[in-house]
Amino acid sequence: MEIRGQTAIVTGGASGLGAATVRRLAALGARVAVLDINENLAAQIAEEVDGIAVPVDVASDLSVASALETVRSRLGVARVVVNAAGTGIGRKIASSKGPHPLESFRRVVDINLTGTFDVCRLAANEMLSLDPVTDDGERGVFVNVASIFGFDGPVGNTAYAASKAGVIGMTLPMARDLAPYGIRVVTICPGVFDTPLARAETGDAGFQRILELVPFPHRAGKPDEFAQLACHIVENSMLNGEVIRLDAAMRMGLMI
Amino acid sequence: MNIRGLVALITGGASGLGAGAARALAAAGVRCALLDRNLELAREVAAEIDGLALACDVVDTAAIEAALATVIAEWGAPRIVLNAAGIDVAIRTAGSKGAHPLEAFERVIGVNLTGTFNVARLTAQAMIGEAPLNTDGERGVIINIASVVAEDGPVGQVAYAASKAGVQGMTLPMARDLAPFGIRVVTVAPGMFETPLASGIPQEWIDAIIPTVPFPQRWGKPREFGALVRQICENPMLNGEMIRIDGAIRMGIARS
Repeated sequence: MEIRGQTAIVTGGASGLGAATVRRLAALGARVAVLDINENLAAQIAEEVDGIAVPVDVASDLSVASALETVRSRLGVARVVVNAAGTGIGRKIASSKGPHPLESFRRVVDINLTGTFDVCRLAANEMLSLDPVTDDGERGVFVNVASIFGFDGPVGNTAYAASKAGVIGMTLPMARDLAPYGIRVVTICPGVFDTPLARAETGDAGFQRILELVPFPHRAGKPDEFAQLACHIVENSMLNGEVIRLDAAMRMGLMI
Repeated sequence: MNIRGLVALITGGASGLGAGAARALAAAGVRCALLDRNLELAREVAAEIDGLALACDVVDTAAIEAALATVIAEWGAPRIVLNAAGIDVAIRTAGSKGAHPLEAFERVIGVNLTGTFNVARLTAQAMIGEAPLNTDGERGVIINIASVVAEDGPVGQVAYAASKAGVQGMTLPMARDLAPFGIRVVTVAPGMFETPLASGIPQEWIDAIIPTVPFPQRWGKPREFGALVRQICENPMLNGEMIRIDGAIRMGIARS
């Protein structure tokens, strides 16, 4: 699907992978809605790309519904939706600190998994009413952000890994559900990228230690490299129902 | 990596996915050497994209070495290698037609798996002697073609599935072997694409398969494969991964 002229939604669009995707989508001619819990940052990015900033807490169904309504009234129904909103918590399931708090597990799953699902179900429902834009009958595409943590399961990440494995697991059934309507679903599993979330999760020393494990290129991924793949997915109609690792061949062993 | 002006070596480059990728890369400023058993066809494609046509059967080490030497002499070492040469047979393991001929199995493995490995090892060695192309220390990328058949295992495809699963299995260790030299390895697993190889599939199978592609419900086009190949070349964070490009197809037991 051609990006030019489409309305795009990027959740978590105010920073990190989301912000880079906002910039690239806008550079390719999309009208972009920056959905983020951080209103100020969202407004800055939106202004930069001549898009709109819409506050959203993806863990709240009312907030998601209202944000989508705002997008529809101002930019029209989005055909491109990138779910980049996410959070993490580093905690072992049990340790000398006691059991993993259930509340923080629920919080991570609410944002990363249920939040992604909520945005997808409501945005897909709006897309159904649009006319197809290609000879294939394509109406739209979802790019969801999981993580290599969803496969590799590093220590201290049960909540994050569970939430991202959930996003991975939704990919194929969602693609199959939406195929009759010409809507594709593809998931990207980033490895270590230089984002506020990654640095907050690991700390500077931890971040450097993790980078030692990256085969090639032996560095953190740049958010724009994520954006490059996300935009390719939008443009390449044969990519559907697939989960793509974008990780410089990294596999996380036991040492983290 | 920035691919303009680089040299690509493409096996099976005279038709199908190989030719599709050659056209996509040539349009991006890559000089393409097309290695194929069918020299006449390779010449036709080469003439169209100002490329180089070389006779080569990937089961023949001397032929690969000779072709590589010619490419290096003409243009310098290839920095992009696409292993698109492949063959297929449709024979069941055992049944009313007798046991699967061992020779047919070995022939498919010889071309698809060992041929891919052979081209990869020789071209990687040539790349290692070259200077890095960018600040990441990147020297090149090797792209292999597996198939969704490797994971989905349709009936009558035991040899093809084994050979392509082998290609899938080589991806990560090869990426890890070559990471210190700044060479990436990525595998693409196409679904149903409109190629001469697919033209060998009996019509009743094709009629049964295409309706099982969720979306888009049609043959993949070699240029869509080519667009993904280009993205893999350009995006340095893609490494050690296999990407399905298949319109979300998963082959069930219906194909018989």
